Amino acid sequence: MAIAALETVAPATSSSTPPKKRGSLGGVIIWLVLTLLIIAPVASFLILGVSPRVFQQGSQWFTLTYVRQALSSYFGRGIFNSLWVSTTVAILSVSLATALAWLIHRTNVGGRRFWAPAMWLLLMMPTWMMTLGWSDLLQPFGAAQALGINTHWIYGEFFGPMGIVIVLTSAALPFAYFIVSAGLQGLGPEYEDAARIHGAGPLRSLQTVLPIIAPALLSALAISFAETMSDFGVAFTLGYHSNFPMATYVLFSAISNFPANFSVAAVIAAVLIVATIPPIVLQSHVMRKRSYAVLSGRTRAPRRRELARGPRVMATTAVAAVFAVALGVPILGAVIGSLVKNLGIDSPNGVHWTLSYYAQIFKPSIQGDSLGAPLLLSNQLGLVVATGTGVLAVILARRLVANPGSWSQRVTDVFLLGSVAVPGVVLGVGYIFFYNLSFISHNVISIYKTLPLLMLALVANAVPGQTRFMAGPVSQIQPSLGEAARVHGAGRLRAWRTTNLPLMSRVLLWGWLLTFTKTIAELAISQILYPPSQEPASVSIQSYLANFAPNTGTAMTVLTLFEMLAVIGIALSVYRLVTPNGWRRVGWSGVQS
Amino acid sequence: MERGSVVSESMRRAVGVSVNALAKVFGDKRALDDVSISVEPGTFLVLLGPSGSGKTTLLRCVAGIERPSSGTISIGGNVVVGGKTFVPPERRRLAMVFQDYALWPHLTVRKNVAYPLATSSLEKSERGARCDDLLERVGISHLADRYPNELSGGEQQRVALARALAAEVGLILFDEPLSNLDADRREQLRIEIATLTREAGATAIYITHDQSEAFALADQIGVLNLGRLVQFDTPENIYRHPHDAFVARFTGVAGEFPVHVKRLLGDDRVVVALPFSSSHTIEASSNESLKPDADVSLFVRASGVSLAAPAHDEGVRGLIRDVAFNGRGYDHVVDVGEGFTLTKIFATTKFDRGRNVKICFDPSACFVMDPTREVSK
Amino acid sequence: MTLVALAATLASMSYVVAAGSAGASSNPGFVLYSSQGYDHASVTAFNATHPGFTVTLNDNSTGPLLQQIQAEGNNPKWGVLWVDGASAFAQLDGEGKLLHNSVPKVKFNALGLQNVPKDGSFAPTGLTVTGALCYDSSQITAAQLPSTWAQLNSAQFRGKVGMNDPSQSGPTYPMIAGIMQYMGKYKSGSTAKAVAAGESYYKALKANGLVVNSTNGPTIAAMEAHTISMATVQSSACYGAALTNFPSMKVKYLNPSIALPSVMGIDGKQPKMVREDAQKFVDWVLSARGQHVMQTGDPQGDSLFWPVIKGENPSNAIIPPLSSTHAISTNPYTWGKLETQVNTWFDSNIVNG
Repeated sequence: MAIAALETVAPATSSSTPPKKRGSLGGVIIWLVLTLLIIAPVASFLILGVSPRVFQQGSQWFTLTYVRQALSSYFGRGIFNSLWVSTTVAILSVSLATALAWLIHRTNVGGRRFWAPAMWLLLMMPTWMMTLGWSDLLQPFGAAQALGINTHWIYGEFFGPMGIVIVLTSAALPFAYFIVSAGLQGLGPEYEDAARIHGAGPLRSLQTVLPIIAPALLSALAISFAETMSDFGVAFTLGYHSNFPMATYVLFSAISNFPANFSVAAVIAAVLIVATIPPIVLQSHVMRKRSYAVLSGRTRAPRRRELARGPRVMATTAVAAVFAVALGVPILGAVIGSLVKNLGIDSPNGVHWTLSYYAQIFKPSIQGDSLGAPLLLSNQLGLVVATGTGVLAVILARRLVANPGSWSQRVTDVFLLGSVAVPGVVLGVGYIFFYNLSFISHNVISIYKTLPLLMLALVANAVPGQTRFMAGPVSQIQPSLGEAARVHGAGRLRAWRTTNLPLMSRVLLWGWLLTFTKTIAELAISQILYPPSQEPASVSIQSYLANFAPNTGTAMTVLTLFEMLAVIGIALSVYRLVTPNGWRRVGWSGVQS
Repeated sequence: MERGSVVSESMRRAVGVSVNALAKVFGDKRALDDVSISVEPGTFLVLLGPSGSGKTTLLRCVAGIERPSSGTISIGGNVVVGGKTFVPPERRRLAMVFQDYALWPHLTVRKNVAYPLATSSLEKSERGARCDDLLERVGISHLADRYPNELSGGEQQRVALARALAAEVGLILFDEPLSNLDADRREQLRIEIATLTREAGATAIYITHDQSEAFALADQIGVLNLGRLVQFDTPENIYRHPHDAFVARFTGVAGEFPVHVKRLLGDDRVVVALPFSSSHTIEASSNESLKPDADVSLFVRASGVSLAAPAHDEGVRGLIRDVAFNGRGYDHVVDVGEGFTLTKIFATTKFDRGRNVKICFDPSACFVMDPTREVSK
Repeated sequence: MTLVALAATLASMSYVVAAGSAGASSNPGFVLYSSQGYDHASVTAFNATHPGFTVTLNDNSTGPLLQQIQAEGNNPKWGVLWVDGASAFAQLDGEGKLLHNSVPKVKFNALGLQNVPKDGSFAPTGLTVTGALCYDSSQITAAQLPSTWAQLNSAQFRGKVGMNDPSQSGPTYPMIAGIMQYMGKYKSGSTAKAVAAGESYYKALKANGLVVNSTNGPTIAAMEAHTISMATVQSSACYGAALTNFPSMKVKYLNPSIALPSVMGIDGKQPKMVREDAQKFVDWVLSARGQHVMQTGDPQGDSLFWPVIKGENPSNAIIPPLSSTHAISTNPYTWGKLETQVNTWFDSNIVNG
């Protein structure tokens, strides 16, 4: 699923009274909404793992056949591969992210203005776009060759576990980075100072403070793990080609036949979800009763360590190299790939550059196959889904941080992380099962095969990630700010609007943009749930890539990417123009270096 | 305008607060247990107690940002909490100064101060004038266009104070406003709080765990412990007649010793033998009915102990363990033998470390009480 | 505040109500689930000339369409299904979901007739050939090509042959089924021997460097990249590539190749009015007008088919006579049942072996 947490973790302050308990009616409504949105559809799918007859997928009310099937040979191999790849990627991405976060936030490494936007771009880029870029770049007669670089030797290696780990680590890097950054922000300079005064060199002082940000590290590990487990893009492209089946791929192949084996897929999905429980339990155990964060407005920015010239150049180069590999390479590959005529052809005339694929986007040969209408629809979807998700995520985030360490907070936490691990296709098909039930369509709501259903599913896909994303920043807001507004005459709404909203405005904006871009790029759910004649852009692109015109498909991809960037740019400019100065002063590590 | 009418106008603004049988339970913890307090209009009430005593909870219940489990609260004669009634904070016409200042980081100082005026009936120009006046009064006019994170702690708390005064309400609440400040700032700001609040003619409820702060500010003090109101009285009475051992300890004892009651003198006075100098007895007061030979403790206020040269006729022998200069004189730690010490014994002249001294006790500053009994009045 | 926000969310999300449920028309029409390239043109043309009801087009790839149908279970939303290959229909018929005797009364040619089932529960609407040997004539001449399936396995073609993955590419399983039928000399009865024969064939191909890609797109791209010089794909895919970007693409038909019909079937569980509407559509598709729209609706893609109607010719000269293709049919009832098993075997042993 989509975006995951950007949390801050710092030692709990001595708040003299526990926070107010929420009205239980609000809680019931929220869980009702979550049930309709996530729990019911996913459960509808998962139950088939042991009870296929529930949705007419088999004759048995209870059986373990599919459990056995899922854990053996082909499917079992996929699960096993995913487990170790996810673990490896989690460790790699968190290590890399910690080093990056340290350099960027705590030293005077160069280029700091660029790294935060670059991380955001990396966060927004879907993995299938990344692999597309990499293959366009590395394939024989691919983009690299068009630039004169021979990549034959690496092509074979890349299409294997190595490439899979590289791309997935790139994809997980931003999640880990933002969490660790926020954890570092809450870490005052006094710990390192104390270590250094007592004789520790830079490496040892880093070792000293690492345990203090251990909860942030564990949280980053858990999220990276969950996100990687549920990734579909790499599993489907790189994993497929490299004879390295991953869980999401084998799940997909289980339901690609007709009749589809939903039951085996359900067991695999259950394994994916359950696999995320250990990391979150571990994190929870370490955090115990610590609140998600309380970062008071009085926290001073930690000092930056001044690096000497030589180390500074090295550090800047290292950081730039990471971004170049993770981000630059795929973008370059895709852009060049879309501009080279007959990419991959050993043409006797050498490389032939062309814009013809872009032209084909708007003048397709098949009626109804242009990119214009789908792209417009995707933008509309993005708008509605991002807004709906934003509202819901704020409400949930407040609940999440309200009672740290409590039973209800833990349940919510585990639920949200587990939802991150649900592959999109499972959610999509689950929606069909649940919302096509006669009982539901006659008595609750009849929205199967409509645009609202697709929107709901996309919101469901985005909410868990965005909630955890907002939890950190939301919790950073001191409760006393709202209380001060109330006692000085503001009603609930005015107090929230004038004191909380401005402080969250940036977070809301970035969360919105993230969900917006993820919605446009989302494929699995869109493909299974889009209503008749209303095909989103990601589906159009996919059919071009799969059928006769892969180069046109690449061009469409690049165009979509730039369109998303344009929307982001516009949104940021509008924000800058419309919001008062004071709103933008409020610092948040996600958008500052 | 005549002084008399100014005074009476601001006095009219002040409201009384009445708390009745207030209780608050968090899970299995009783934060407040049957607390009843009555505050006259214009009084400066300080709630004093250690952390966990319930003072913050009580204040937050009065403010309306916490809901009590049972009991009633009235402000200015109107019931704000009771039975089915719950008046939300924004309608209680009060103001509050927070421990962490709670200034809105995205608003300038001026806008922070002007916030409570948004719901008032003043014209825009009048609001501006009132703001300027307040900023002037707390001495931060030059910071009006800055943002809170550009100010020092003391400056921020001044802004918070100005904000609390802006709406000219009849009740101002203070949640340990000085605890996050440096020592020198603390004194200064305490005086400003005291004067500005009284000038504004508001009733004040102020919480702190610092007894010297409480004594300096209060017209009335309510001492709280473990959710209960232990003593409610003037500072002088609390100091001179603590109800129980907890109050005595919390309001500062120089020493506490187990003693035997030798004689009852009547009028709540007794004679006890000192454990570290058996030949010496002293008089002390007691608010309990005691029997001779009862096991009690003697609590001695620092103000009731004076030092003299060893040659002095009266007094108990002692040895100076430590001496500290405090500007106006010296605080001494005196070892009186048998492992007992007296702390914070003031003298204008210095008695050096290791010197022998004579210690004299003033009976009015000595109390005898059951050390384990804690009153829950 | 929470309640207000939630209400606002729900309200803002239910803003689209109009689509699909407009007006209380007496005849609601039906939804066509189709993966055919000419379906937009067909539906538009049909709706224009049949004002009584509306056919709503749900166009998607075959995989998602079938997933939707299966997930809809006993509460189906589809009226007509139109995809390449009959195995899905055989499966649906086995589940009792298709309307019997819905085949229009037209004169089918021989291959057409072979693809009409006894209970008339689905009808062929056109034919392509799967297992067409698509090759890049700039890399390899016709003389150099293999003449038989067995020859495909020779050393000179090592690593030069490609195909699609049956679990991703719809037309591929029918080809494999046909190969199994051919290699195992299957006539009737148990398929075990035929399956085994086919499996060993593909295992040998794999050992000879067979390159498997997910669908037509990557396979053709591999040919363009000269990774492979030939691939067994669907005939229309190869002709389409030749007509658009790669004029050097040509097709050779090995003996046998496998006929792949585009097939239409009606959901038997729909109410009577819907079934009647659906029948009208099916009849129209096999009429002269419908066939014409099929042949012009996707001129560089699915329209490159052979008609199943006697005496009709393909739309494009690039397509040779049907007889030259040596096409045979496979029985979808027999081979449809084995699709999951074979595809899984293929995925485990050939794609990921």
